[in-house]
Formats: sequence, C-alpha cells, structure tokens
Amino acid sequence: MADLRDQTLGFRLRREWPAYIYLLPVTIVLLVLNAYPIAYTIYISMTDFGIGGRFSLFNYHYVGLANYSYAFTSNASLSWELIGNSFFWATGSVALFLGVGLGLATVLNQEIRGKTIYRTLILLPWAMPAFITILVWSNMWGYQYGIINGLLATVHIAPVYWTERADTAWVALFVTNLWLSFPFYTVVFVATMQAIPKDLYEAASIDGAGSFSKFFRITLPYLKPTIIFVGLMGFLFTFNNFYPIYIITTGGPGNATQIFITKAYDQAFGAVGATPAFATAAMYSVIDFLIIVAFTVIVLWRTDLTKNWLK
Amino acid sequence: MTGIRLEHITKRFKKEVAVDDVSMQVADGEFLVILGASGSGKTTILRMIAGLEVQTSGHVYIGDMLVDDYEPRDRNIAMVFQSYALYPHLTVYQNIAFGLKLRRVPDPHDETKLRKMPKAEIDQKIHSVTTLLGIPETLQKRPAELSGGQRQRVALARAIVRDPEAFLLDEPLSNLDAKIRSNARIELKRIHQQLRQTFVFVTHDQTEAMTLGDRLAVMNHGRLLQCDTPDRILSHPASRYVAAFVGSPEMVFLEGAVEASGGSYTFVKDRVRIPLRGVGPVGPVTLGQRPWDLLVARKPEDGAVPANVTGVEHLGSSDQLFLEIPPSAVTGAASPLAIRAVVRAYDFHVGESVYVGFDADRALFFDADGARLESLSAADRLP
Amino acid sequence: MIQRKRRRAARIAKRIATHAILIAACVFALFPIYFIVITSFSTLPVESITASTLVPSVSQFTTKSYHTILYDQSPSFLSLLENSLIFSGSAAAIGLALAAFTGFALSKFNFPGRRTFVYFILLISLFPSFVMIIPFYLMFAKIGLINTYLGLIIPYSAGAVVFSGILVKNYMDSIPDDIEEAALVDGMSRTQAFFRVLVPLCYPVLGLAAFLAFIGPYTDYALAHVFIDSPGLFTLALGLYNLNSQSGIQNYGLITAFAIVMSLPIVAFYMLFQRYIIGGLTMGAVRG
Repeated sequence: MADLRDQTLGFRLRREWPAYIYLLPVTIVLLVLNAYPIAYTIYISMTDFGIGGRFSLFNYHYVGLANYSYAFTSNASLSWELIGNSFFWATGSVALFLGVGLGLATVLNQEIRGKTIYRTLILLPWAMPAFITILVWSNMWGYQYGIINGLLATVHIAPVYWTERADTAWVALFVTNLWLSFPFYTVVFVATMQAIPKDLYEAASIDGAGSFSKFFRITLPYLKPTIIFVGLMGFLFTFNNFYPIYIITTGGPGNATQIFITKAYDQAFGAVGATPAFATAAMYSVIDFLIIVAFTVIVLWRTDLTKNWLK
Repeated sequence: MTGIRLEHITKRFKKEVAVDDVSMQVADGEFLVILGASGSGKTTILRMIAGLEVQTSGHVYIGDMLVDDYEPRDRNIAMVFQSYALYPHLTVYQNIAFGLKLRRVPDPHDETKLRKMPKAEIDQKIHSVTTLLGIPETLQKRPAELSGGQRQRVALARAIVRDPEAFLLDEPLSNLDAKIRSNARIELKRIHQQLRQTFVFVTHDQTEAMTLGDRLAVMNHGRLLQCDTPDRILSHPASRYVAAFVGSPEMVFLEGAVEASGGSYTFVKDRVRIPLRGVGPVGPVTLGQRPWDLLVARKPEDGAVPANVTGVEHLGSSDQLFLEIPPSAVTGAASPLAIRAVVRAYDFHVGESVYVGFDADRALFFDADGARLESLSAADRLP
Repeated sequence: MIQRKRRRAARIAKRIATHAILIAACVFALFPIYFIVITSFSTLPVESITASTLVPSVSQFTTKSYHTILYDQSPSFLSLLENSLIFSGSAAAIGLALAAFTGFALSKFNFPGRRTFVYFILLISLFPSFVMIIPFYLMFAKIGLINTYLGLIIPYSAGAVVFSGILVKNYMDSIPDDIEEAALVDGMSRTQAFFRVLVPLCYPVLGLAAFLAFIGPYTDYALAHVFIDSPGLFTLALGLYNLNSQSGIQNYGLITAFAIVMSLPIVAFYMLFQRYIIGGLTMGAVRG
C-alpha cells in the first residue's frame, strides 16, 4: 500500500475507506457474539443470579462487587488456589511444550533419511480431534483398567491411582497436554530453524564452535521472537483450556487441579440437582479474563513483540 | 501533443517534503531518465505519475489529459516494477494476458458497443510481444522457473502489450547481474526506438542514465536540479552536485579562490595558479575538472600538483589512474587527496611520481553554494 | 588414523541417537492412536483391558463394534455425521470468508482506527469463550434459535475468526505490495485484485484457516450440548459423549470405533492438504 504515514486524517479516510466495508461483517459478528456476551457476563457477575437457590435464578438483583469481595475474603483460599493452579497449569505446560518442541526440532532439523515420515507421524496427534483423544487418555489413566497402569504392571510397578492424588493428577494432565501440543511446537520450530542461513553454522564450525555453542549463539537468538510468540499463545490457550482437566480429573481431587474455567463451568452446569450459580461462574471468568489481559499486556510491553507489526 | 506533463508537483508528509515543486515535461515518444540517489524523490514522482501515490499539490497530465483524480487503471499507463511484480501463481502467458482480459474494446460490428477482447487477438498480441523480446519459449512456465533476465523481460512484455500512453519503469535493471545488465540496457533502447513511445525511467545509476536517456532529470532531496540532454548535463552541469553525480569517473574538485589583478582573473590554490579567460566574482570558488581533461606529466609544469600513482586500471586504449596527492601539497588537507585521471594506455605505472595539471579551457567553476559560475567558464565559448 | 576413526564413531553414534529419539517421539505420539485402533477391533469390556491387549490377537479380532455404531444406533451414525458436516462445514465457510476479509483489510489498508481495532479484537478474543455459553443460550432462546441449525452455526462461525484473521494478516504482510499495485495498473479495482491475485496467493494460510474453522465446531461438545436437545440434530461429538456415558464401561470397543470413524474425515483432510496446512502454519505463526 502507499506510504500513508503522516498523511492527514481526511486523506487516509478518503483513500482507505474500503477497509471499513471489509471489516463490517467481522465487527458485527464480534460485537454481537463476543462483546455483548462479555458485557452481559460481567453484569451477571455482579448479581446474585443463581446464588440464592432456585428462587434467584430469574429473580436476581444487582449486588455490585459482593461476589468478588466474598471470593477474596471468606473464600480466599479457594480463589488463590484457583489462581495458583491456573498459572501452574499454563506455565508448566508451556515450559514442556517449548522444551520438548525445541529439542525435537533440533534433532529433526538435521539431514536425515525419513525426515518427512517422522514429521507426518509426529503431527498425527495434533490432527486428531482433541476431544476424542482426551477421552481416550482419560481412560488410559484409569486405576483399574487403564492401560498405563497395565504397562507399569508388566515391569512390576504397582498401579498408581492417578487421579486420586494431586501430584499424580498433575503428572497425568501434563503428560496428556504435552502429547496434544508438542507436534505443533515442533513443526513451528523446525520451520523457523530452516530459515536460518546455513553459512552461519559453517562459519561457526571454522571458528571452532561445538554443537552446544552453535545452538546457544546462533539458533536460539534467531528463534527468540518465535519462542515468545508461540509461548504467549500457548499460555493463553492453556490457561483457558477446558477439556483436558474437565475430562481427566474434573478439577479433583477436591480442588487440586481446578482452574478458573473448569470451576466456572462446574458452578454453572456441574453439580446435578443444585442450582446453577451463574453469577459465581461469571465472576470466575471475569477474574480469569483480567489476569490474562494483564499478563498479555505485560509480556507484549516488555518484549516489544508488536513493534513493527502494524506499519 | 505532449507525452507527460508535471506542473508544480509537491508531495509532503507531515514533516518531510519528498518532492519539492517539480515541474517537467516529457515529449511524446521521448525516453526520459529521472536520475537521483536513494531518497531523492525519483521513485515518488514516478508513482505519482502512475497514480499509486497522490500528490499534495500540483497537477499531472498524461497525453494532455488531466489525470489527478484518476485511478492507476484509468490513466492508460504501464509500469515495470523493480522487483517485476509478476503474479507468482500464473504462467508467463497468463501474466501477460491478465490485463488484456480485463480490457473492453469497441466491437467491430458496432462501434458504440464494448466487448471483451477475443482470445485469438489476445493470443496474437502475446505471441508477438514475446517474440519481440526473445522469450517465446517461456510462455507456459511460472515466474519461479525463470532467470532474472527472463523475468525482467516478462515484466516488460506485460507492459508493452497494454499499448499504453506511456511506460513507467522503476529501476528495472537493478536486480540483474552486471553482465546481463549492459545487454538489457541496449535491448531496452532498441525496443524504445521500435515502439516510439514515451518512456519514463527511474534509476540511481548514472551510467545507465547516460546510455539510455534522451534527456536526464537529475534530482536531489526532492528538487529537480537539471533537466537536459546527457551531453549538456556533462558539459554544462547546473550545480556542483550534478557535476559530481554525473560522469564517470567522478569529477575532480579543487577548492580555491579567484583573485583579480588588473582586469585579469586567476584561480589560485596553493601552487596552482590558473589564468582564467572569463570574468567572475572574486572569492572562494571550486574548480571542477573531468578526469579525462587532467594533464598528467612526469615533469612539473606551471600550476601542477605532485601526486603518486597508486593504481592503474587498463580500459583498452586508455588507463584509469588512481592518484594520491600528498597532504603537504594542499593546504588544509589532513590526509592525502585521492583522485582519478584518465590517460592514454600504458603511459604511467604504479609507484611513479607524477604531476597533475589543470586545463582551464575545459574546467568548470562553482561558487560556495554549489551553483555553477558560467562566466568563468571557457566551456561556453568552445564550439 | 585414530582421529578419523573416532570422528566416524562419533558421527554414527550421533545418527543412532537421532533416530532413537525420533522413534521414541513417534512411539509416544502414536501410542494412544494405536491403542484406539486395536481396541476398536475387539469387544472386550473395559475390565479386561490389560497390557497384553496391546498385542493384537487374531482370535479377538472383530468388526462388531464398527458394525454396531454404524448401523445399530439411534440416532443413526449417518444422521450424526450429516449434522456435524452441516454445522462444521457452514461455520468453516463463513469463518474462512470472515478471516480472509479481516486479514486483507488489516494487512493492506492503513485506515484511521486500525490500531484501536486490532487491540479491540485481540482483547475480546482473550475472554474465556466457555462462559459465554450462558449469555448465548439466553440470547438465542429469546429469538427462538435454540435447537435449530442456524442457531448453532452462528456462534460456531465466530469461533476462530480473530486468530485466523491474524494468521491471514501475517501471511498477506509477506506478499509484496507491488504485486497488488501491478494488478491495479493492469486494470483491476482493489476488490478484483483481492479476489483474483491476493486470495490465490494465500491458499496455504486459507487452507489452514479453513482447517481450524472446521475442527473447532466438529469437536465441540459444550456448546452443542447446551443448544441442542433434539436427537435429530445431534452431532458426532454429542453422540460420542452420550455413548461414552451409556456403555463406555462395558464395551470399550464401541467408543473407540466411533472415535476412529469420527476422526476419519479430519485425518483424511489433513493428509490431503498437509503441505498447505503446514505451510500456512509456518508462515502465519512464524513472525519476522
């Protein structure tokens, strides 16, 4: 497009107005299906919708920030546990994704036979619908009939009650999550690595650098923007990733693996027979949202990621 | 009938002025080269003629038609981009045909109606233009499969086949290998002569400009400095900048002063004293001499400066000498002054000590602001 | 001499290690899938699944599970599949168009308010979409769009729009401006240039966007569960979940067979368009 920096507002409007037409459908969709529900949810979070038993389901009142103050005073331990779990889940997963992704990508980046086959096979878990594979993993982690315990039995290790204890529950969750996402990260990193000019490595070899040195001095700096970008995306995605936790542990044992979004769902649709506490669910999502936004703003600000993104 | 006319074109961003009140006229069928360094505004002017940029003030006429409010597609021009901008997903044939398929031409059965160009006609045009440019065998290939030179010719073919009022070319030869470039240059000139259409060509390479242009428009910092034939730009440059920019090897400059005594004027710089035939202001003056007008000798002449030969480049019947004038010979010089001279082949060798003299009759003079002092020059008096 | 031998040995060791690691990764990746495939061909109840079931034995081989889910269900598998395809296909088409327009406008136009708009849509996309199910339900119930096709397609279309839009924008950013300008000089309007030049050049990222826009709705359970309770409109995801809650424990083969068949379209799609999808992934996700 023509260089429009520093042109007057009127000029840019006259020239670039077709953009508004192109963006109209998206704007309508987002306003109706995103902005409005969000506003509505925020409003609901400040009422007692569903909290006062059946009665308050449609006879609800505005209560201001009462729910929030309750969450951080009387119910503070739960709230902090949710915050801790959510961060643990997101950062732990991302750390695994990045670590394994980088490692595999480095291995895969060499000139080896069968490279494409490996890549296709590794990417297969990602292509399969997550819902299904999570269900299967959930069954695999089962105590009595899970295949993982079965395999452990063949090497004479006692079966583990994976979802019964908090630490093993987290292990199950992290391993499953890793399985779901590592292909994506591997492929992205391999692609980025391939863009690095080969002669940099050759020059380093002549200078006497070993593999480690080459990795840290050449590969990593080149990968830095990508690592930050997919890392951020991964964090945001995992922080609100409902299915793995809901299906495998349902937040248990107790609230040990409960994160904001699963708790919110649980409040709204979880307990059979109890009234859906929509207001609490809404509140948890609002808190979730605020945390995410703060985190994103901080990361983007500190890492300069969007510096030249919009011309 | 004029080809293209620019009237007081200015292009301003909020703080900077990219093009500053430029007016010029390109005659119908002329090959005009806009020459300038990066950032001189030359590409901006071309894009404003095309309609890809809109001027802040001023008017653009193409073929006597005021086109200020016209979109690029309605201006009846064709453009060849520096990167060629070929559609990567289409074959050469489709690339060239693209514009043609959009064209509506008068129906031969009913002059008032417009219809699409028939395939046979499109076919014929494409074949004739690719034969003209020597690339008929590439028609079914994609741009990625072609060499740089072939791509450049496809871009040219795409432009030619539009039969426009004018051709706009944005440094189309810059991306070619040096060897191909000089051939491409000559071919381009040949095509221009064959088509007899208006060409506006933008470049930063002064050799290219000198070879191709019927006239050159030299630009710097958005200003048009001079618009003239190559010969006149060389012999009568409007300013020091133009004199330095055009001409290879670069002009040699000596900063001195003009003294007057009893009706006669002399250019003085250290040992150099050159009697001048013209009249001029007394004061600081810069002398400019083309390398091929320098007088290099083994014996010191009046007003000659000592120099060492640090390099010799053989160019056939002449040599390019790389000379260094020691700082001691020039007042105010902190380091050796490096200049080049063009002399007859094999006259001098590396390591020799020589003397460089100036030819007043062929020298040019510039004042402290860079403007040329015509009156001091004998050049105007030469036949 | 010893140097050379040592270096050769080192290289061979490195190669063995490389392949070992990659094979291990593949085993990790494929193991659950292998497991699903194996159990889908047996009718063992969950109780008797042990490590030995991993080794397929011919005597246990049966296609009964497949037979059951394909022919013996209510609502029929065909009906489930049909609904899934309608929902996901329509949503993918709409979502793709939205993503393409958005990416184009953000990439090739510098209009007043661009920055604000981008920040706005990024901000909105951060909200956990899950909880919007409640307002969605209330909104759509009021208009009477619950239990209809349109009612679910609309929210589905909006699912990946922001992310895909950004992917398309990044990809288009890498297409040089002068190709569009050449099209303009060649006689096209900006809209024509968009459809005839830019869009064809974006097939990889558009392929990826379509893939993402399809997969979301296809595997969605939460929203479908809330919006649909008439069996005639059930999707595959709903069918699978119900099956799991009914007979998951007794007959593991049923769910795995279902899962396999349900995944086939996706895997097929992926296999066919692998190059495009990965191409779009790398261009869209890899910035700079």
